[in-house]
Amino acid sequence: MSDFNQQWLTRRASPPGMVACGLRGPDGKALCHTLEESCPAAKMEQILAQFEHVRSALFSEQLAPRWHTWAFEQGQIRFVQRPDGWLLGLVVRPNSDAGRRLDALSQEFLNLEL
Amino acid sequence: MDDEPDFLRLVRELFGPLSGGRWEIHCANSADAALEMLKQQKMDLVVVDNSMPVLDGIQFLSLLGKRFPDLKKVSLTAYSTEDKRSACLAAGAELFIQKPQSGEGFKSVFAMLDDLMSWAPKQGFQGMLRRVGLQDVIQMECLGRNSSVLEVYNEHVLGRIYIEDGSIIHAAGGDLTGERALQRLLALPGGSFELVPFEPPPQKSISGSWEFLLMEASRMRDELAAQTVPGEPEVDPQTLAAPAAPSVLVVETLVCSGLGKALYDAGCADVPARVMLLKNIGRQAAQLAQIASLGTFDRLELQLADGRAIAQAKPDRLVFVAVANLSPVP
Repeated sequence: MSDFNQQWLTRRASPPGMVACGLRGPDGKALCHTLEESCPAAKMEQILAQFEHVRSALFSEQLAPRWHTWAFEQGQIRFVQRPDGWLLGLVVRPNSDAGRRLDALSQEFLNLEL
Repeated sequence: MDDEPDFLRLVRELFGPLSGGRWEIHCANSADAALEMLKQQKMDLVVVDNSMPVLDGIQFLSLLGKRFPDLKKVSLTAYSTEDKRSACLAAGAELFIQKPQSGEGFKSVFAMLDDLMSWAPKQGFQGMLRRVGLQDVIQMECLGRNSSVLEVYNEHVLGRIYIEDGSIIHAAGGDLTGERALQRLLALPGGSFELVPFEPPPQKSISGSWEFLLMEASRMRDELAAQTVPGEPEVDPQTLAAPAAPSVLVVETLVCSGLGKALYDAGCADVPARVMLLKNIGRQAAQLAQIASLGTFDRLELQLADGRAIAQAKPDRLVFVAVANLSPVP
C-alpha cells in the first residue's frame, strides 16, 4: 500500500459519521482507517474479508453491481470493487454527512489512479 | 434504426429470444431504409437512435409523428442530456432510453419496450407504464427510505402523497386528507403522476406502515373493480393532464412471504432464482451483522450499470424492486 492510498483514505474518507473505512488491494493486503472505537481496524479487515463471501454468494454476470450498500439499524456498509481488483469498504452512521457522500466517494474511488 | 451494425446485430440476437418469438424485429441503418420498411409493413413500435447522420433522431421522430401518427416511438441514445430528452419527448417519443451497455441493460430495455407494446392507453397512470404504476413507485420510495412528494392528478382530482424517510406521512386529494385521501388516490382508475422533491406537508395525517397502507389500497381497489358495471365508460385519456416524463422505470417487483412464497410479482423473469438470491442476502446480512455489530439488517441497495435495486430479507418478507434509468445517472 502506498502513501497515496493511505492519504486518500484518511483525507477523503473521513467526513463526520464515518465509522471506519478500508482499502484492499488486488494482492489481498488491506489498509484500514478507524474513526470510532466501536469498529477497530481488525473488525474493518473482517468486514473487507466478508466481501468475498458476499460476492461469490450473490453476484454474477447477470447481477454485477457497481457498488452495494448494506443498511442496518445503526449504520451502513458500502462496498465498491473496481475491475482491477481494488476494494473499498466504508462503514457509516445513518443520516450522516458520510452517508450522504457515499455515492460521490464511491465514484471518486472508481476513477482513482491507484 | 441505428447506424451501428454491431448494435443492430446484438438487438436482433438478444431481443428475439427474450420475446419468445412474439416480436418480429426489422433493422434499418438509415432513416431512408426505416421509412421504406414502414411504408411496406405495418409496425407497432420504432426505436430510433438519436445520433444519426443526415437526419438526426429528433427530426426523424417528428417526421414519423406526422406520417405514422399511431406508431409508438422510442428514442435511444448513448449520450443523454436533459435538453435532448425533453426534445425527444416533445417530438413524440413515448420513452427516452439510454443505450444499454450490458446484458442486464439489454434485458431492462427489452422489458421497457415490451411493456410499452402492451400499453393500451385506455386507462391507468401515465407517469409510469401501467403495469408498474403508482403503487410500485411508492413502494420503491419507501423501501429506499426516500423523501419525496407524488403529485397525482386527473380531470376529477388533484392530490399529493408525502413520503418522508420512507414513510407515508400525509396525503391530500380533493376534500379528503389522511388515509382516506391516500386510498382514494390509489384507487383512481386513470390519471398522471409526477415525483417531485420533498417539501414538508401542511400536516402529518398518516402514521401507519406503508406496507399495510398499500395492501389496504389494493384491497379497496379490487373491491371497487368488482363493483364496476361492465361496459361502463372508462376515463377518457384525452381528458387527462399531460403525462410527466419519467426518469426511472420500475422493471421488477417481487414480494414474497418470509418462507419465499411469491405474493406479488411484476417483471420477475425467474422467481425461484430471485427468492434464492433474497435468502442468500439474508444469510450474508446475518454474517455482516455479526461482524459489524450495527443492529438489525434493513435492506441491501445495489447500484447497477443501468439502474438500481433494493432487496429486503426479513423474517416475515422478502422483497426485491429494480428500476432502470431512463436518463443517465448524474
